[in-house]
Amino acid sequence: MSFTMNNQEINDDSLLRKFLNPGKIEKAPDGFTSKTMTRIHIETQTAKEKQGFLVKNRVPVISAVITAGLILAAALITAGDTGSVGSAIWKYFQDLKFTLPVIDNKYFNDLNLPEWVSFALIGILLLGLFDRALFGIFHRWKAPKSPKGDLKLL
Amino acid sequence: MNPKDDLYYIGQVLEGKTNAFSYLVEEHKDKAFNLAFRICGNREEAEEVAQDAFLKAYRSLKDFRKKSSFATWLYRIVYNTAVSLVRTRKNRVLSVEEFPADAVDFLGFSTTEEEAADDYRNSLINFALQKIPEEERGLVTLYYYNEIDTEELSKITGISKSNIKVRLFRARQKMIEIIKKAETKNVFYNE
Repeated sequence: MSFTMNNQEINDDSLLRKFLNPGKIEKAPDGFTSKTMTRIHIETQTAKEKQGFLVKNRVPVISAVITAGLILAAALITAGDTGSVGSAIWKYFQDLKFTLPVIDNKYFNDLNLPEWVSFALIGILLLGLFDRALFGIFHRWKAPKSPKGDLKLL
Repeated sequence: MNPKDDLYYIGQVLEGKTNAFSYLVEEHKDKAFNLAFRICGNREEAEEVAQDAFLKAYRSLKDFRKKSSFATWLYRIVYNTAVSLVRTRKNRVLSVEEFPADAVDFLGFSTTEEEAADDYRNSLINFALQKIPEEERGLVTLYYYNEIDTEELSKITGISKSNIKVRLFRARQKMIEIIKKAETKNVFYNE
């Protein structure tokens, strides 16, 4: 018996299609999907741990930075000191012709509230806006949801 | 599965439902593995390459632009991963003299002469496929096994459509030469 392939046979595209077709593909080994998903879950978990500290503790971290800044400022700007960099900055701020705007609160006069209440309210409003801005920034770093309750593994 | 299903599961994954990715793996694993296997030449490496490709796809899923199908995008990752692996490890390719003896084991299993001839041709063609360069192996696999047209092939490999046709033609020519040589070395099977 002769199995030899002639040139025309080999060059014939239909012959290649006969032997190299979707029905003859080498199938992935058993457990391929679960092994791949295990690797993905490990990767997801590791990524969460890596981003963990700064994202999870962003509020105390920001507070710590602000507090450290204030302490540093207090240390640099010493009373009566005129030669340091800190005192120069402090003097600059003192020299600024900054006056708080006068708020016309004639409608609230009957309430007999002290004037600082109006400024406090403005301060609260500004802090609220600042909080929303920070939320907007950190919301992008939100960790992926837990797979619990998701679609089952095949 | 139609491409809309892929997009649905991609959406689920992007919403944080990691396990939805398993549907994409299940759907595309065989063709992805086959592509890796044909380029790498062994199952162990092919499994690693295919898994790596799925992992890369998962990591970059948010960057998937949906201009092409998920399958095309995934095959591109598998193709590049497999080709670069083969290049780095200086793939040991069987020489023509090494045409495996077990390639003719079918003689004991084939019931008819026609079946035996088909099995023999199948072995020769797959042997020849393993002998051509890795990029061409990838092209032939994608074109014949995955039935991807030259336009999609161009997107996957980054090679122009006309060049794809030329390379496929060359790959076929090389396979012919390899088959001829292999047959000469195994003439005793043709008696």
